[in-house]
Amino acid sequence: MSPRVAVVGAGMSRFVRRAQETGKELSWIAAREALASCELKLEDVDAVCLTSAPDAFDGVHRKGDYLADGAGAWAKPYMRTYVGGGSGVFTAIQGWYTVASGLADVVVCVAEEKMSSCQPHPQGAFLTIFDNILERPLGPNLLWIFALEMQRYMQAYGLDKRDIAQVAVKNKRNAADHPAALLGQTDITVEDVLASETLAWPVQRLDVSPISDGAVAIVMASEDAAKRLTDRPVWVQGVGWNLDTTYWTNRDLAYPEYVENAARMAYGMAGVNEPRKEIHVAEPYDPFDYKELHHLEGLLLFDRGKAPEAAAAGVTARDGDLPCCPSGGLLGVGNPIAAAGLMKIAELFWQLRREAGARQVPGTPERGVAQAWGDLMQVGTVVVMGNDGGPLTTATQSPPPQSPPPSPRATPLSDQEFRSATGAVEQRLDTLYDWDAGEAIGAFLDGLRAQRILATICISCGRTLVPPRKFCERCFRPTDSWTEVPQTGNVETFSICHVTWDMQPLEVPQIPAVIRLDGTSEGGFLHLLGEVAPDDVRAGMEVEAVWKPAGERSGSILDIAYFRPLDQEVRRELVATATVEKTLESTV
Amino acid sequence: MGVVGVGWSGFSPTTAGISYKELMFEAARQAYADAGLDPRSEIDSFVCCSEDLEEGTSIFDEYVPDQLGAVQRPVQTVASDGLFGVATAMMLIRSGVASTVAVESHSKASDIVSTGRVDRFAMDPVLNRPLGVSATVLAGLEMRRWLHVSGRSEDECAEVAARNRDHARNNPRASYADTHDPTPLFDPLTHEQAAEPADGCVVLVLAAEEKTPEGAVFIDGIGWSQDAPSVESREWDRAAAAERAARAAYERAGIDASDVEFAEVDDTYAYKQLQHLDALGLDELDPDRVNVSGGALGEGHLREANGLARALACIERLRAGDAHVGLAQSWRGVPSTSAAVAVMRR
Amino acid sequence: MSPTKIPGELSVSFRYTPGVGNTAFFEALRDRGVFLGSRCDDCGVTYVPARIFCERCLAELDPSEECGPEGELVSWTVARVDVDDRPLDEPVTYGLVRLDGADTVFLHRLIDLEDAPEIGGRLRAVLAEDRTGSIFDVEGFAPASR
Repeated sequence: MSPRVAVVGAGMSRFVRRAQETGKELSWIAAREALASCELKLEDVDAVCLTSAPDAFDGVHRKGDYLADGAGAWAKPYMRTYVGGGSGVFTAIQGWYTVASGLADVVVCVAEEKMSSCQPHPQGAFLTIFDNILERPLGPNLLWIFALEMQRYMQAYGLDKRDIAQVAVKNKRNAADHPAALLGQTDITVEDVLASETLAWPVQRLDVSPISDGAVAIVMASEDAAKRLTDRPVWVQGVGWNLDTTYWTNRDLAYPEYVENAARMAYGMAGVNEPRKEIHVAEPYDPFDYKELHHLEGLLLFDRGKAPEAAAAGVTARDGDLPCCPSGGLLGVGNPIAAAGLMKIAELFWQLRREAGARQVPGTPERGVAQAWGDLMQVGTVVVMGNDGGPLTTATQSPPPQSPPPSPRATPLSDQEFRSATGAVEQRLDTLYDWDAGEAIGAFLDGLRAQRILATICISCGRTLVPPRKFCERCFRPTDSWTEVPQTGNVETFSICHVTWDMQPLEVPQIPAVIRLDGTSEGGFLHLLGEVAPDDVRAGMEVEAVWKPAGERSGSILDIAYFRPLDQEVRRELVATATVEKTLESTV
Repeated sequence: MGVVGVGWSGFSPTTAGISYKELMFEAARQAYADAGLDPRSEIDSFVCCSEDLEEGTSIFDEYVPDQLGAVQRPVQTVASDGLFGVATAMMLIRSGVASTVAVESHSKASDIVSTGRVDRFAMDPVLNRPLGVSATVLAGLEMRRWLHVSGRSEDECAEVAARNRDHARNNPRASYADTHDPTPLFDPLTHEQAAEPADGCVVLVLAAEEKTPEGAVFIDGIGWSQDAPSVESREWDRAAAAERAARAAYERAGIDASDVEFAEVDDTYAYKQLQHLDALGLDELDPDRVNVSGGALGEGHLREANGLARALACIERLRAGDAHVGLAQSWRGVPSTSAAVAVMRR
Repeated sequence: MSPTKIPGELSVSFRYTPGVGNTAFFEALRDRGVFLGSRCDDCGVTYVPARIFCERCLAELDPSEECGPEGELVSWTVARVDVDDRPLDEPVTYGLVRLDGADTVFLHRLIDLEDAPEIGGRLRAVLAEDRTGSIFDVEGFAPASR
């Protein structure tokens, strides 16, 4: 049994579109509020934990070092951990093991993000999360992978956009009661969401949470220290985290297995056997509206494909049977990536102490779950928190404070103020790389130049892998041989995208798709569709590669110009030929 | 916490034809084979130490699980040097959430066109970076300040570089044993007193005491700290972060500096080795028991994996039975102040 | 066959707002030619440039201490190479200056040097004629005796 660790304080900055404050100053605002909330002096803090998502937003390499002073880490043991969008909830996990290890009694955990520094649009920084060799040349927009996943989720379970849009409505309305919120709106409707501009079908503007600046901090303590610092500690009952394969195009995006794995780890520790009954309030990660539903299913709170109908029935409303995102979530409060995740932990802390004011869920919730997600549809971080069902305020005590207090701090700048700020500095990220493609991808690129698509085979699990790799990640052993695969396949999922990677409108929409090539196992790679009208694209559609002329091929993923629809006859012939070639190769 | 497996790959100025994933797979394979463990089922948690701008990819965390056998397992990235990953493993094990942990860090410096530009991007964007100067300016400033307050000489620093490279001749992993470029870099720092980058990957498999066989190397104490990040308010006279990290490590290991028989300390710059020995209370340690591997000056500097390279050298020495108590220390290099210390015994 | 190397970059740019503390500092420098700092009385530290918080205790600070324009040289170095490790045409001298009244140091160029600088020497800030609110409102630090 691990030693008990509690959250004893929490604080946050306002979430704003563009803050005047530096990341250090935002971190300070949150850290100071968290310390004040439990009357703790910095000198009594043993260690500091911090998370922040990519350095490419704040624009400082080793952002963790840079933020250390604002986070209160001067001359203290200090560490930044990092799991992409899962970071915010992971901050509490990092704090948990720091205290549970016995190496610290009291820790401050900070999550910060300053996305507004990134130009011309923070969205553009997301280009750099894609594979440097096989994906970035396609100019992928972050919206693509969300759209691909959303489309797959809707298609797998026959869902309607309307069911999904209601999540955005619920959360933005909930956020109207959150003092730090950027986008609380009491009067938004499903019609508003469905009428908003289509960015990358099926993703529309109001399905997406807003990019923001902000910081959140919590104080965590050992059992003894917790009892000194507060009469109402909220205990961390379980933690879990799980990272799936990088090869996201080889996975079915309909269900987040890694969230389930993380949830099982946390529930196991917490002794939760029937989550739907034993969890009284949930803060799933909601960067897009459909994600809340997707994650609620991964959290085993609803069956696969069943979260939308439960939401439609009011189960997830603040006064419903299982309130979800009573805070207003990312959709309503804002999405400074890491800070948004920790905001959910703070929300559970306040809810379980009945301090959430107008956001307070009715009844006497005893246990909640917070979850964050990130990377390439890859990581789940989960924390289960509980108040031990202990008595809260007695009749003679004054009512609990409203948390966070009104008017959380941060100085919002208008676009004009941002552009004319005294002392503002503009700089390009000038680092340059010369990446070794390595043996496997080097051979793959050579194959593309020769108009061939190559794959590697693992005889242990029997899979044929594209993109090829020298190791099988499932069996953890070297792959055994190479083969060529057909240049035809099926569209697993697709999107119709109307904006570029830096949010400029496209005259002719792009159609990104995950293409599962014939002869491969579990998917192929990301590419674009061409010679097809957006309305005619269907999941499952058969396609073939269209190559650039030999003189224009350079050993790049762009040697394939695009994939176009294929008729059945031609496909059968091509598959038959490739099978014969493959048989010959493997006997050589 | 015991060391049940070690593996490494690369340790050369370039690793042509090998991607970072392939470099990691090789080191991980070795480490798991050494430990006799299957990562798919017998390793509870994975910790990687990396930074996005070292790789040229944002959210680099995404790209690690496959080649480490960590798919659908608990994986986290620590944005710091490899010894911070070892500290994390200790906390994971002591907390009870894991009993075996793999820690990885690597350098593919040969994929970075200018490491100077990467380092500079860690400087304050408003106050320092606009000056346009390389982050190495901080090493030149610190070296001169430290020589002034400590009374050491430039010759002593040159001696450190020469001795480390001499030691490196016996180290098959070392690439820079014969480097000799005394031209000035940032006065009084010279080129030969600054470690050159190298590619490489190190993977350690660490386990709870009860899962570690007799006769293994044990890590008894770890400390980590940092100083004010800003150039303006940090301590310029001594390696304060290393001092604090050492104090914590010694206390947790139940020893003091005089018990340390040999040390692998950070020598990113020759003066830093002397400054770090002072900070660790090891200024009296026989120079031939310091950085016997050749340190970064001799092996090459493995960027965020540098601390693990020192730890690896320490573990190998203990396994060979040459000594019983050793110490590995890391510093993240300019413009950082972060430092970590691990005390090991066999 | 030579290994495949793929060139690349991270095509992102930034506009950094200096923050509340630095804004006060740059406005004072630009408008009045003074170096504004903040003092934490509890910790006994005066920070230049001005900050809105003390890093040692997290107390809120007021940017209200005027420091400098002279100070003491804490260290200096001569840059021989640029950020890409290519030799500079002209070496450039940099220094850390502790302005009078401050407990922190200021990183900038040392200029108008006739002899090698000395740690402990007195220097004076040389301000630019046309100031915009930036680190370049300071041209550098020169020996104070001149």
